Amino acid sequence: MKHIGILLQALVFSCFLLCPAGSPLLAADYPFGLLLVGPANDHGWSQAHFEAGQAMEKVLPGAKMLYIDKVNPADRQGITIPMLVDDLVSKGAKLIIGNSDDMKDGIREAAAMHPEVQFIHISGDDAITGKSGVNLSNLMGRMEYGKMMAGFVAAMTSQTGKIAYLGPLINAETRRLTAAAYLGARYAWTEVLKKPAADLKFKVSWIGFWFNIPGVTSDPTLVTNSLFDAGHDVVISGIDTTEALVVAGQKKKDGKAVWAIPYDYQGACASAPDACLGVPYFNWIPGYTKLIGEAISGKWKQQFLWLGPDWQAINNPATTTIGFMPGNALGDSQKQALTEFQKALAGGLNLFTGPLNFQDGSSFLKAGTTATDDQVWNLPQLLLGMDGASK
Amino acid sequence: MKTLVSLGHFLYNRTATMILIAALALGAVSLLLLTLGIAPTTIAVAIAHGSIFSWQKFSHVLSLWIPLLLCSCGLLFTFRAGLWNIGVEGQIICGAIAATALLREGSFGLPPALILTLALALSFFGGGLWGSCAGLLKNRGGVNEIFGGLGLNFVAQGLILWLILGPWKRAGIASMSGTDMFVKELWMYTPPGWRVAPAALLLALATFALTAFLLGATRFGLTVKATGNNPLAARLYAIHPERTGLAAMAIGGGLAGLAGGLQAACVYHRLLPPISSGYGYLALLVVMLANYRIAPVPAICLFFACLAAGSIQLPIVLQLDSALSGVIQGACVVSALLVHGLQKRHKGEN
Amino acid sequence: MIELTNIHKTFGKVHALTGVNLKAEAGTIHGIVGENGAGKSTLMKVLTGFIGRSGGEILFQGQKVRLDSPKDALRLGIGMLYQEPLDFPQLSVLDNFMAGRAVFAPVEARTELARLAATFGFTLHPDNRVEELTIGERQQLELLRLIGDGARLLILDEPTTGISKEQQDLLFTALGKLKTDGATILLVSHKLEEIDLLCDTVTVLRHGRVAATRQRPFDRDALLQAMFDSLPEPQAPPEPKRGGIPVLEFEKVTGSGGRSGLQKVSITIRAGEVVGLAGIDGSGQGIFLKIACGLVPPESGRILRFGAPLQGKAKETGRTTVFLPADRLGEGLFPGMTVREHHLLAAPGSALITSATGLTVSRRAIATHSIKGQPETAVEDLSGGNQQRLLLSFIPDGVRLILMENPTRGLDVHSAAWTWRHLHSRLHADGAIVFASPDLEELMSQASRIVVFYNGKIVLDTPTRATDYQRLSRAITGQIDPVGTC
Repeated sequence: MKHIGILLQALVFSCFLLCPAGSPLLAADYPFGLLLVGPANDHGWSQAHFEAGQAMEKVLPGAKMLYIDKVNPADRQGITIPMLVDDLVSKGAKLIIGNSDDMKDGIREAAAMHPEVQFIHISGDDAITGKSGVNLSNLMGRMEYGKMMAGFVAAMTSQTGKIAYLGPLINAETRRLTAAAYLGARYAWTEVLKKPAADLKFKVSWIGFWFNIPGVTSDPTLVTNSLFDAGHDVVISGIDTTEALVVAGQKKKDGKAVWAIPYDYQGACASAPDACLGVPYFNWIPGYTKLIGEAISGKWKQQFLWLGPDWQAINNPATTTIGFMPGNALGDSQKQALTEFQKALAGGLNLFTGPLNFQDGSSFLKAGTTATDDQVWNLPQLLLGMDGASK
Repeated sequence: MKTLVSLGHFLYNRTATMILIAALALGAVSLLLLTLGIAPTTIAVAIAHGSIFSWQKFSHVLSLWIPLLLCSCGLLFTFRAGLWNIGVEGQIICGAIAATALLREGSFGLPPALILTLALALSFFGGGLWGSCAGLLKNRGGVNEIFGGLGLNFVAQGLILWLILGPWKRAGIASMSGTDMFVKELWMYTPPGWRVAPAALLLALATFALTAFLLGATRFGLTVKATGNNPLAARLYAIHPERTGLAAMAIGGGLAGLAGGLQAACVYHRLLPPISSGYGYLALLVVMLANYRIAPVPAICLFFACLAAGSIQLPIVLQLDSALSGVIQGACVVSALLVHGLQKRHKGEN
Repeated sequence: MIELTNIHKTFGKVHALTGVNLKAEAGTIHGIVGENGAGKSTLMKVLTGFIGRSGGEILFQGQKVRLDSPKDALRLGIGMLYQEPLDFPQLSVLDNFMAGRAVFAPVEARTELARLAATFGFTLHPDNRVEELTIGERQQLELLRLIGDGARLLILDEPTTGISKEQQDLLFTALGKLKTDGATILLVSHKLEEIDLLCDTVTVLRHGRVAATRQRPFDRDALLQAMFDSLPEPQAPPEPKRGGIPVLEFEKVTGSGGRSGLQKVSITIRAGEVVGLAGIDGSGQGIFLKIACGLVPPESGRILRFGAPLQGKAKETGRTTVFLPADRLGEGLFPGMTVREHHLLAAPGSALITSATGLTVSRRAIATHSIKGQPETAVEDLSGGNQQRLLLSFIPDGVRLILMENPTRGLDVHSAAWTWRHLHSRLHADGAIVFASPDLEELMSQASRIVVFYNGKIVLDTPTRATDYQRLSRAITGQIDPVGTC
């Protein structure tokens, strides 16, 4: 009986589908499309975007999400971004979000094909470089703050004074984030713990990519193991997957005093909570709300939106773009110190303040000067005091 | 009169087979959907809507059809020669690499058509070289072409990643999204409103015609068929099974490489790691579904391309996983294998 | 112990076994002899349950038994030692010994293996990998496994092929011991010395029937007569040709293939000769032909064809030498392809091929060779005789050396006669025909010279006129006349 019901529904639905092309599928005031690079339920990067998109339907009256997940040529043979955008646009989408750096070229191409539609590309910089038309904006979170907090709790917790950073590939973004983690750690070490800066060791090991590709990248599990074996007791992960935390969890079970800090997703500590000091994560709701809201109300303008934490409520999903979720392994006094650190950052503490030198000894910032956004975004080298490759 | 009757019988048999396969596949998929509580018609309508109901969408379908058809043509050669060319993916990649090597250098002030032609020729050689490697490994090293092909797929995958993350990385940041785009004049011409380059379409059609001609109407085609049917006997007819197999691998690899070159030149306008997009494996299914015959290949490719393009609708419209199209493809192939297998057995018993 | 009554086995219209009776007592060794195709393998497959019988009864220890599957045989304690050991080469000796047992008890199995090996004087290290053992050692292991599993009826298929003299002695001692212990042994062999040495009773099979059952001591001539068809003296065997130019020369050629390979064979075949190769299957004649036509490279030795060294190139084979294999569909034709396509492949011609190309040629060949089929008939749909005629129709003009395996296998009398008329007509003035055949009558009536292979060597080389059935059948079973003949 139920099946007949479904068939009847299907028939009605089919008639609905067959209605003249061009008319929007669902009568929403403002349909927008979301292209997710991974599965919508990946407990990571894509899920954070998907949930933010869902939230838009509540936050912005009339907004209706159309999404396509697993948008990558490995999962969808031969399907290109312009094709998917064509499709979303034919379904009435007035704004398209692409959530991956990989989609840069495709989004740019699609934006040129559909000047009447607005585009948001996450983590790109076309709006700055001027490679795209005015219908494309960029959105990114100021993860530097999250990484500073990660570095801070790492230094506060470390017993050996040796901290390691499991880096992906080397580029301006990863240099920026690694340097931020170092500055957070140095602040904790010298300003809070009052120890000499020379006693803090900060090692960066690049595996070669955002995740393990056997035969191409170094194996993050092996790298993490060797970092711990070399006496580092906190590993901060800069890659998309959780190998560092998993290894730390195993070592913890064997009675070793080691910790790790994962990345990207609020719930990332779950794979080894007892070894997790906390996780810096992205929350896209504020950025979406602003950009889509402006588009709905006709106030769209091309911009490069780089949003930071809500210092009043760092884990408030409605307002903060960057959050830091403390982990089970973070001690009470360290947690207290973290709160103080967050207050200081909120109060205007800028760790990118001179005197700061580059790794090669040349001067980055003179005493008393602070870095501009552009200087931070395009950081050319690691900083003096960090051990690891800059290029 | 007698020939007419036998021709009728033949056609009847073929049609009956096709209908049987379609019914079986349709039945299996419908059953699966119904148990999941989804109406099969909804899926069919959604997929049709996303593939053939507008020219723009149909031209999308065609852009998927081209590489699939080229790879399938290549596989017709190798299957006829009795070889399992599992290394199509690697051959596509090598073709794409070869084309990119030229296209990324810009046009040198020469006519773009000339550069593109050269790049596509290079891609044919690149893929052909990779196919020949598997063939030589088999002839000289005694490595079964399946394992050789799989191994070479890994090597090609490593090579393309190394190139994209290393020597050919885009300005500034190495990225999985591939190399820098080629200069605009080296994009194959696509008329406004089209999503497929007419030149690529013509090339694919010509390739299919040439494949049908070579395999169906030349001594070479007969030799390939004989080698595949009985390599042991081939020697008695002054045929070198190794040499013929190698030629088939080279041509098969070349056509796959051409598909890769077209992917780089017309679809993505750059080299990116997943450029082969699984066409190599999908083409295997196409040729198996065609029961290794030539004529049905373009239609099956078109059907698979429609499924792939149309399945994008499933998550958008129905919040269903688009992997369902893979299930449908799989059901078709399993049904076809089943029907052909049963027919063979039936014939064997008579 | 075991008694077979009136066993029948048919495959389609072919009677493989017709009314076979056989009785083997406990504590005896019972020989089964017969030439190729006499029904030995079929009978063994029936006994081990691999194929069901079409009729007849089997009594095992006085009980009527079903014996329809290998499982039944295993349950009854019937074990078979195959020519190629049926073991797991990658596993250890001990693992193989335990294979198939329901209970996994390695410690007990190890003790048992050691005890059994000691009993029979075998040296087997339980932890060695089986692939490192010789065939003889693998056979020993197999035998111990069967005994360990409780086999009381052992069937051995040509057990002395490929094993050393020492291993053979050990095996014979072991068989003697088993016999004393009350086991029943069925020994399938074509070596009459073994039969003489070991067996108490022997059953001779011919054309699927029991031709004779004899008790010890055996009269060899009587056995031979029962094994091979006794035929009227052949009508005028062909004239031996002498003094022609050499067509095919082998100098100490060694090669592998078949059961025994080819061992340092030297022979010269001259123009005008029709040479018949005799021998039990796999004695060297098959590999001799394959080496002669260049399909298989020899391991050592020198081969001259028409006075020039053989390069082993397939192309040359096509022009002056042809080889027609015994397994026509398996080695000589392309199943799934048509008669016309075969004719196109067999002769060089235009590069372009339409549905009309070669039609005339094919039609003419079909007519002249009386092939019952059309140009568009698939070759697997032709009967065996027509497949052979088709193969013959590929022989191009000017071919000087025709090599054939079993030219008339599976052909009816009419087709066989036609084939031979045709072959003789194709004998080139400067060429020769070399053919292998299991059929003594065919050898005697068609060949001008007969060469007998045994264990990879030529044991008899004689003009047909100078020999007779008796001597041929003795040579085939390994009894070489002291008298040189050629």
